[in-house]
Amino acid sequence: MAGVKRGLGLHIPHRSLLILPDDIFLVSFPKSGNTWTRFLLANLRFPDQPASWANIDRLIPDPMGTTKRVFDRMPRPRIIKSHECFDPRYSRVVYIVRDPRDVVVSQYHYHRKLRRVEDDSPIEKFVTRFLAGETCPHGSWGQNVATWLYTSEGGPRFLLLRYEDLVADTPRELRKIVAFLGLTATEEQIAQAVERSSADRMRKLEQAQADKNGLFRGSRKDLSFVRAAGSGGWRSDLPAPQVARIEAAWGHLMQHLGYELTTQPRDCESFRILSGSAHNL
Amino acid sequence: MIGQLKYAVKYALGLDRAGNNYTVHPDDTFLVSYPKSGNTWVRFLLANLIYPNESVGFANINRLLPAPGVLSKRFLSKLPRPRILKSHEPFDVRFRKVIYLVRDPRDVAISEYHFDLKKRYIAADMTLEQFLKPFIAGETSSYGSWWEHAASWIGPRYGNPAFLLVRYEDLLADPVGETAKIAEFLGIQADEGRLKTAVERSSADRMRKLEKQDADKWTGTKNTIQDIPFVRTAKSGGWKDSLPRDAVEQIEVAWFPLMNFLGYDLASKELDSKAVPPWLRSGQPT
Repeated sequence: MAGVKRGLGLHIPHRSLLILPDDIFLVSFPKSGNTWTRFLLANLRFPDQPASWANIDRLIPDPMGTTKRVFDRMPRPRIIKSHECFDPRYSRVVYIVRDPRDVVVSQYHYHRKLRRVEDDSPIEKFVTRFLAGETCPHGSWGQNVATWLYTSEGGPRFLLLRYEDLVADTPRELRKIVAFLGLTATEEQIAQAVERSSADRMRKLEQAQADKNGLFRGSRKDLSFVRAAGSGGWRSDLPAPQVARIEAAWGHLMQHLGYELTTQPRDCESFRILSGSAHNL
Repeated sequence: MIGQLKYAVKYALGLDRAGNNYTVHPDDTFLVSYPKSGNTWVRFLLANLIYPNESVGFANINRLLPAPGVLSKRFLSKLPRPRILKSHEPFDVRFRKVIYLVRDPRDVAISEYHFDLKKRYIAADMTLEQFLKPFIAGETSSYGSWWEHAASWIGPRYGNPAFLLVRYEDLLADPVGETAKIAEFLGIQADEGRLKTAVERSSADRMRKLEKQDADKWTGTKNTIQDIPFVRTAKSGGWKDSLPRDAVEQIEVAWFPLMNFLGYDLASKELDSKAVPPWLRSGQPT
């Protein structure tokens, strides 16, 4: 059966996805605004098909969850979602990074929704697993971010965006993506994409389409996937000792990304990534 | 259609090439390097060390120290654990225990140039100078550039007890001592005699002879230009004679911080020989 599926292209390609030179990858650690950005880009690129939970996996698919046939039939250049660590085959990468103190809170609640974490399970326990990279198959936050920044930052094929900036000024950040990809979009088109991807609209769609996306299958209906959709929630939701643990592990990366620390950094030297000037050749 | 059908059958039987889609176990150890950095030599060293009663050669190296990409999933799943596997992959979070072999990129450039000629990956009349720009940009290899590869592994893993960094140059200077370090990392008990035997059986001379004998039996040398050998000089510092000064400078300008960190002395005096990537100064692995 698996063989037949394979022959017909109905299998999930995973790591064997054939990557094309003009592919665009939307990459992030989980719970860092990837789905929101998928909605933004899908709404911009395919204005005739407003993005929803029913079509998003077809419009901007994930090689770990969509069949090969969908990839083969996509218009080019394809926009593909990924949570993977550095992959040199990814020709163009939009990498979204988010303050790990917010990521851990978001992932904790997401795991509650998926029934992987009990409501009364202490967040300390979750932080321990989060720091060790045991809460998802994509490495720890620090590993995932480091593999991309150390290898690619400053290069012409890599655009780094902060989730916090996307929240603060969505049209401005979306225009950066459009420019990076060499596309064009009018102000009206940008505004429409932002409007169609608002947290409110995504929440409403989620309620109406909870059964239309594999992401929600078997998950708790009393908790929603689209949660706060803001930044800085950790200040009230994450106990200070847990904040300190995250800062101790990844303070240098966080500082480099402009995330202000509440504790003294281990290493006072300013952090600048020398990714080599090869990119300027 | 026939091709698809053949593939479907192979897949159903687990006989298709595993590529990147194989199961990684937490107790696997990976021998990882950028291509042309001594990986095959270390595979021979380890195979000779672990299997002293086997006659290790190019015909059986894929079985003794397997390269998962070119083997079938069925073969891989039947290997006794813990497995030691060869890889050229850049960072892969599934690889928990890693021996990372690194080589001076100025020598890698020359080695890869000759290998790509041998494999007909590049035009027969391409010069080393022409090869250099795509080499630095990472366009000559599906594993990224030398910098991307080394940074992707050393960045997140350096200092981790399950990560052993080995320089090809150190291995050349003291093969017995460096092999002993690798053996210890792998938990292999080996006395001096056994180490020496493994080193002798994996000498460049011996590997050259084995290559002549078995070139058509190994994926690395099958259907390639046989006038260009796979086992070439097996030396370090060849770049000083055969890499044009301008080419040396291009590589150093591109990658000097990581070269400094790895102890590869710069020829260009105007570059800061003290600068290392800041993420290597900050101490702990991420």
